[in-house]
Amino acid sequence: MNGSHGKVDTLGLDYFGRMTASISHEIKNGLAIINENAGLLGDLVALTDKGRPLDPARLETIAENIRRRVQHADDIVRRLNQFAHSVSGPVTTVTLREIVESTVALAHRIAAMKGIAFTFSQDDTIKVETIPFILQNMVWICLKNIFQRHDSDTNLTLDFAFQEIETDVVIVMNFSHEIDTAATKAAISEEGKPIILFLKAQIYNDQTNRTIQLRMPKKFID
Amino acid sequence: MRVLLVDDEEELVATLAERLEMRGITACWVTNHRAALEAVDRERFDIALLDVRLPEMNGLDLKRLIEAKQPTMKFIFLTGHGSEEDFNACSAESGREYYLIKPVQIDVLTAKLHEICAEQGDRQ
Repeated sequence: MNGSHGKVDTLGLDYFGRMTASISHEIKNGLAIINENAGLLGDLVALTDKGRPLDPARLETIAENIRRRVQHADDIVRRLNQFAHSVSGPVTTVTLREIVESTVALAHRIAAMKGIAFTFSQDDTIKVETIPFILQNMVWICLKNIFQRHDSDTNLTLDFAFQEIETDVVIVMNFSHEIDTAATKAAISEEGKPIILFLKAQIYNDQTNRTIQLRMPKKFID
Repeated sequence: MRVLLVDDEEELVATLAERLEMRGITACWVTNHRAALEAVDRERFDIALLDVRLPEMNGLDLKRLIEAKQPTMKFIFLTGHGSEEDFNACSAESGREYYLIKPVQIDVLTAKLHEICAEQGDRQ
């Protein structure tokens, strides 16, 4: 990206910062759980001095909990590494589902905090030529504004579907519950304006069918 | 001493509670604000250990709701971030000494719980 795309760069930095903060929180939680399990092992061993025998099954459970958490932390770090490398990635052909899934995976903790779950409709073959990091950033801006307008007292499922229309591709976001799609679309359009222009994309909303759609050319136009 | 532990990571909070029990501290754990408020309606606690970033409601807002039900209760905030934002918010609420960053060492936590309880006893 060159200087003429400064606003896109700024949004990208903001996105990168937000995601790394969220991921570091997940890693910290994992470390805290490993720390407590290791501490519990120590406590149980210490209790043998007071005559309480060690229960092998209990020890195995704790060891398994530690192994599971280490595996989870490893998955998180791998995701972070992929994300970090994607920032400077070139124009590439990817499936829309890959882009959305990786964005959702990074944002899943934030979504869970708001009581939001994700599902994917079947078509995962539709491809787009794009700069993956920038399109991910656009999907994140959509998610962030949806999160902000969702009342966390109710659970919301956000289903993603993908379409190909003539020379364009579309990411369709279907909501399981009523949300103000017009206000959400307006907020996404405002915040994501530089990226929308960069990707030559358009945003639509349909209140009756509870959808927001992000439509863009399937071939990247520089 | 009776302590209420609130964190959305069930494995963390359950293990921490078990370790506190081993040290003679009665610990009740829950994973969300609703269960925390129900627990406070049901029984009395001396201290609550609250995760700053809970799902649906943050720890600071939960503290205010709990305080309305049990005004003498004391609070320790627990966070994975250790960010300036969290630190300042919690400091304004509880004083810097009641703010702990994950992972917490059990001896540090136990000492802090006893210290707070002793201060409470002195005041009463």
